[in-house]
Amino acid sequence: MLVDWLPQGLKDILGPDVIFWLGYITNGKHLNWYASVQYTLAAMLLGGAVALVVGVLAAAARNNGPRPLRWLAAGYINIVRGVPDVLFFLFFPLAFEQGLEWLYSLQVCTADTLALNVGKWPPCPAANLSFNSVAYLVLAGVSLGIVYGAFIASVVAGALQSVPQGQLEAARAYGMSRIEVLRRVHIRQMWVYALPGIANVWMSIVKATALLSLLQIFDFVAWAQRLGASNFSKAAGLVHDDWRWRYYLVLLVFYVLVTFVSEKIFSAIGSRLRRGMPMAEQGLT
Amino acid sequence: MKTLVLAIAAIAALTAGAHAQSYKIATEGSYPPYNFTDDSGKLGGYDIDVGTEMCKRAGVECTFITNDWDSIIPNLLANNYDAIMDDMSITDERKQTIAFTDPYFPPDPSTYLTLSTTKVDYANIKGMKLGAQKATIQAGYLDQNFKADNTILTYDTQDQEMADLNAGNLDIIFLDGSVVAEAVAASGGKLKADGPEILIGDGVGVGMRQSDADLTKKFDTALAAMKADGALDALIAKYFPEKAGGPFYKK
Repeated sequence: MLVDWLPQGLKDILGPDVIFWLGYITNGKHLNWYASVQYTLAAMLLGGAVALVVGVLAAAARNNGPRPLRWLAAGYINIVRGVPDVLFFLFFPLAFEQGLEWLYSLQVCTADTLALNVGKWPPCPAANLSFNSVAYLVLAGVSLGIVYGAFIASVVAGALQSVPQGQLEAARAYGMSRIEVLRRVHIRQMWVYALPGIANVWMSIVKATALLSLLQIFDFVAWAQRLGASNFSKAAGLVHDDWRWRYYLVLLVFYVLVTFVSEKIFSAIGSRLRRGMPMAEQGLT
Repeated sequence: MKTLVLAIAAIAALTAGAHAQSYKIATEGSYPPYNFTDDSGKLGGYDIDVGTEMCKRAGVECTFITNDWDSIIPNLLANNYDAIMDDMSITDERKQTIAFTDPYFPPDPSTYLTLSTTKVDYANIKGMKLGAQKATIQAGYLDQNFKADNTILTYDTQDQEMADLNAGNLDIIFLDGSVVAEAVAASGGKLKADGPEILIGDGVGVGMRQSDADLTKKFDTALAAMKADGALDALIAKYFPEKAGGPFYKK
């Protein structure tokens, strides 16, 4: 245990009670809990990155794309925005896994093994894919990205329309093609207008990571639930009552900290983006 | 299409991992004293110790993984692991979908757990809130016998029903007698075991796929050896100090 390493003098000052609790909150299962923050953070960052890419592509497609692409993007934005995130979070990883299993079964199943397994999933035992928690973590991040990408898309679509027409006309006058205008001028200047909206969506992504335990990922929330649960078995460690609210309080503080740090980062990015854009700096858009 | 299939095969190979006679056993990790996560963060408990010894004697390599109780049978059937050791009672209903090894815990009647201040007329339970864990033999029993006149609440995990009982949101929990005995002993007089003992099921066995008859036989042989030389009795004494009437298996 970590407290064993403390010098004796310090232990005497702190007293046995403090040493006991220090030891308790640094025992193996608590260290597992702290380490599980990595899953929460990984899902957050992956979800944010996917949402940004999906969102910008969908917005550009809806505003400037050829007609079929425009319909597709509009459909994505409207449908996915209307679905509860919890539902999509449950639906997407499962549908993805079973979809892969179905494709795989077309190759590996024979008529005999299929006949033995009628009415069961997977279609034949050989086609089973057993996803580990890393795979589920990636799927969770991608699901978050797809759901919140739709919100980012509408933020970005609005921001694209806020870029002054004069800027785009000037770019075209320089002889840039449609794609060049979009890439070099339109999207570059869009960020300043989109940033507050994107920051907002990011906060939603951060908060949605509390859903990870639904996919049997042993994340920060799932561990807190397990550690806080009352324990009557001496073999399982310290016997205690229901302590869940204490652990949930730590979760609340964690999420407030993450959103606080995010806000600082977004405001730093914002002032950097507004450099050399006097109109945006003064809020005159 | 071809690259797609190759990609899926690659994922399958990655997720399948090393399959050299290594078996995965699923447990819940939150059903003390059968299985739990101990203070060092590792899985421990009666199920885990029995399983580890059983695999050693059967000459196979086993690792324990956690899976929620309510999806533990479907995931066994989907080949996500090879066995279940989670205080699972052998019942005719479960035998229709999975197979079991011989029992590794002596017949354990279920009984009622209440706050020591609660008074119940067990011959005529009415207007009570009764709790059990979802998809357990006890939940099935409550549903069959007390549904009409009482409220039946089911929980995902054992600790949730314990929390509700302690908070007064629940009058009675129906649970394995061995677990009730440990919980009462640790409660310092707050809880009591109460009412009649009711034997449901045919003991606790390792849940197996019906197609894995060879592995089931191997486990049965290992368990029989553990019963004969007293290893199983020693583990029962270790995890269930309140259980009277041993030795249970040693001849």
